[in-house]
Amino acid sequence: MPQKIPVLSVTDIPRFDRHFFGGEHVISRIGGGAIGGKASGLAFADTVLQKNLPGGSYQGITVSIPRFVVIGTDVFDAFLERNDLGEVAQSDTSDDRIGMAFQRAEFPAEFAGDLRGLVSTVHAPLAVRSSSMLEDAMYEPFAGVYGTKMIPNNQPDTDTRYRKLIDAIKFVYASTFFRGAKSYLSITRQGTAQEKMAVIIQEVVGLRHRDRFYPNVSGVGRSYNFYPVGHAQPEEGVVDLALGLGKTIVDGGRVWTYSPAFPQAGPPFTTGEMLSNTQTDFWAVNMGKPPTFDPMKETEYLIKADIKDAESDDSIRLAASTYQPQNDRIVMGTGADGPRILNFGPLLQLHEVPFNDLVTMLLQSCQQALDVPVEIEFAVTTDRTSEGYSVRFGFLQVRPMVVSSATVDITDDELEGDRSLLASERTMGNGVVDNLTDIIYVKPDLFGKEHTRTVAAEIDELSKRISDDSRGYVLIGFGRWGSSDPWLGIPVDWGSIGGARVIVEATLPDMDVELSQGSHFFHNITSLQIPYLCVRHSNRFKIDWLWLESQPIVAETKFVRHVRLAAPLTVKIDGRGRKGVILR
Amino acid sequence: MPFSSVYNLPPNDADSNQMSWLSAKTLRRGRPVTDSGFNPYEMAQAQFDSGAEVLGLDRGAREILRVPLREYQFSIPIRMDDGSVGVYRGFRVQHNDARGPCKGGIRFHPAETIDTVRALAMWMTWKCAVVDIPLGGGKGGVVCDPHNLSMREQEQICRGWVRQLAKNVGPVTDIPAPDVMTSSQHMLWMLDEFEHICGGHYPGFITGKPVGMGGSLGRTEATGYGVIFTLREALRELGIDPDKTTASVQGFGNVAQFAIELYQQIGGKVICVSCWDQADQQAYSFSNPEGIDLKALKGITNRFGDIDKAKAKELGCEILDGEAWLGQDADILIPAALENQITGENVERISKKVKIIAEGANGPTTPEADHAIQSRDIFVIPDFLANAGGVTCSYFEQVQSNANYYWEKDDVLSRLDLKMTAAFAAVSELSRKRKLYMRDAAYVIAVDRVAQACRDRGWV
Repeated sequence: MPQKIPVLSVTDIPRFDRHFFGGEHVISRIGGGAIGGKASGLAFADTVLQKNLPGGSYQGITVSIPRFVVIGTDVFDAFLERNDLGEVAQSDTSDDRIGMAFQRAEFPAEFAGDLRGLVSTVHAPLAVRSSSMLEDAMYEPFAGVYGTKMIPNNQPDTDTRYRKLIDAIKFVYASTFFRGAKSYLSITRQGTAQEKMAVIIQEVVGLRHRDRFYPNVSGVGRSYNFYPVGHAQPEEGVVDLALGLGKTIVDGGRVWTYSPAFPQAGPPFTTGEMLSNTQTDFWAVNMGKPPTFDPMKETEYLIKADIKDAESDDSIRLAASTYQPQNDRIVMGTGADGPRILNFGPLLQLHEVPFNDLVTMLLQSCQQALDVPVEIEFAVTTDRTSEGYSVRFGFLQVRPMVVSSATVDITDDELEGDRSLLASERTMGNGVVDNLTDIIYVKPDLFGKEHTRTVAAEIDELSKRISDDSRGYVLIGFGRWGSSDPWLGIPVDWGSIGGARVIVEATLPDMDVELSQGSHFFHNITSLQIPYLCVRHSNRFKIDWLWLESQPIVAETKFVRHVRLAAPLTVKIDGRGRKGVILR
Repeated sequence: MPFSSVYNLPPNDADSNQMSWLSAKTLRRGRPVTDSGFNPYEMAQAQFDSGAEVLGLDRGAREILRVPLREYQFSIPIRMDDGSVGVYRGFRVQHNDARGPCKGGIRFHPAETIDTVRALAMWMTWKCAVVDIPLGGGKGGVVCDPHNLSMREQEQICRGWVRQLAKNVGPVTDIPAPDVMTSSQHMLWMLDEFEHICGGHYPGFITGKPVGMGGSLGRTEATGYGVIFTLREALRELGIDPDKTTASVQGFGNVAQFAIELYQQIGGKVICVSCWDQADQQAYSFSNPEGIDLKALKGITNRFGDIDKAKAKELGCEILDGEAWLGQDADILIPAALENQITGENVERISKKVKIIAEGANGPTTPEADHAIQSRDIFVIPDFLANAGGVTCSYFEQVQSNANYYWEKDDVLSRLDLKMTAAFAAVSELSRKRKLYMRDAAYVIAVDRVAQACRDRGWV
């Protein structure tokens, strides 16, 4: 078990003085109770920065955690109790109904003044994030389980800004009881009744470009790499970068992945693959025309923009390279005409900004402070000045990763023998699971890219049934699990597949994509120590589909089948050798 | 005469629950305001004179602020239920409207006098100014005893009052509100008459209306919550954690109950409340060092709001004399019932532990007691600042009514919080800078704001 991030007592954090940007404290609080896991992580990140970068600067890069106010869990308790929301929250009614009940409820008056005070002085976008108690107590990741809402907060009148902020907080509160969260907690043998939610209101790191507000770079860095390629070693870590808000990374979208030890080496793609796998759109906060009122929609105030928009905003200078078809080359920068590839070449290779050095230093410092591998999140703005670039690095999160240390040996006989249902040389996790009799798999003969949304819905349905029985299962499907792009994989959310104890990500000739390589979503999988196996149809190890078809069916939909075996499977993952096998 | 020592019997505005309860007590005890041997108008003027001295006000400003701008006195004839004719004397005083339309309640009281109404109108001017709402001060009244009038007769008086004044009051000139022995029902009759005369809907003509009929959400909580918003700021300024404080509260009416509710919500512990007992015609204090259970106590009150002593004992309360609330070893005292409760005779009962007095009631402290409290260095949040949440919310009601758009409750209360917090901060800052007693600082700010408005308008 990794070391926990030190839990701050609420009294360690000063009360919010109603001056958000002009206030004395970077971190302050409204209300009492606990501050939850995410806020503890941010406070810890602040401690790491103060220790390692006391001046708040690294070779010209301004480094800080964005200012935030945390609303303690006492406010959540008061909100639920005074509005009598317990019953609807614990009921199995739809998320929409729960959300609307929360939206109609009254926010506790004694804290409302602080929030009105906050928005009365702030006109910049705010992120309203969950920071839950169980996240902290269980030391388990809840990323993607609870709601987060970004609000533009640029309306001219305080009343509207206040109302939007309150709506966003209520949305985060309601998301504690959404079906995905309930399902997740039931899998981790916790109930939502024990859950309490603190809420973080945080400055969004970014720059405004007309109607869009976004950072030039968002990133997730891990000090341990489950998928090292080339010369990279697992201990050297891995970093994912994307243009715009970090949602692209969290959602498992197209990102640029590199090893901090070899920042000039990208993923082992051909030029063609690089072109087809590069980020083509990005998320930004919508600062323009108000969207349709929908307080239940997490992305109510977000817009997805095209990379061309970013180029016209002049915000991809350090992020993009250009493909030159005439000589089949990729040239750094955007000086030439041609398709853009977001490989962050100028940022990582030109040393104009010591970005990678900073990320490496932070990963090392955090790992040293916690004595376990860590995952960090950040957002960066690069504003061009007459003297070069004014760079701000917003340190958004730090949390420990779980890396199992057990030694698992897998023989060649096991990999290739008759007992092998499937095997893989690209796996995540480490250990043995030998108690699963259920398999939910997507039928390969009927599957097609165009059906991924239907498949996601069918998996949700079958998965819910099996989760109700508290059974774990092996999940087998095609493309990137949880991808927001339905053409790249099956767009399930974590709540739908949270009951899976083993996950297999496979390809088909019709779904021959680069499989997901660690994202927020997969942090959940790894931290819950769910073995993950990647099986490419073109590799030597195949999945024995015929055998699967012959197993007794428990339930079946058009694209998905749930079978139950007479005897349990044995799943073995050798984390060091990155091999894995499922033995029948 | 020191500025603070003349303070007594200040006004209130638009808190029907509190005021009807208060007025009933005052009547029951045979102590109507003018029987107490002083002229409140002279007192208000003396008080103003002291403030003007501190400010060094010029002669013109003193002259215009020392007396009301306008006064209306008239007769209201009505047909009584027995067929006879009753003629009632009505008043409206508009003390000053330099900062905005006049605002003030309408009192039905058998001992009402023009001087009482003048004094209360002046106090309303200062009260609106100290919380920096764009309203002036007014007050009205009718010499009558509603206990001896049927509802129909009271309706006649209400409508008659409006008929006499319709040209001189209204949403942009003078906005009445409930006060002593008038309620939301009286306001609706008056509104109906006004709209009938003017031929349109003018919900902003009057405040204190029921929710759904032009009233504002949060009005019930406003005065009590306002007391605690200022108390919270005082604690913050003194560096005291609310979680570590205890309070003793006089009264268990609307203001006290909501003050207790919010105080407990911010972490404080109420160890004593006092409450009037209708049957025994005296007050009792209910003490529990472990903290009183507000919900449970509310559950054992009768229709007069009296707490059942036997049941309170079962809840772990010790029943003490009516004045015992004052002598509790608490950090905070919140007088939230009647005027003149902390006097020269009982001020010595105040425990050495007390650090703050937040005056939820109107004029709970006599000048003599005030002097003693000041010399003991207890931090006082003066009544017309502490309990201004009521009139502030009335202002919000008027704003909503004028727009015919009504806010959510947390909208109302969050705005109230900001207003009260800002008002406290201004008074407290002046108190520190000029080394003034909090009460004096509040008056100085209020008078200065109104005088400045008069100057800005070119009146003086």
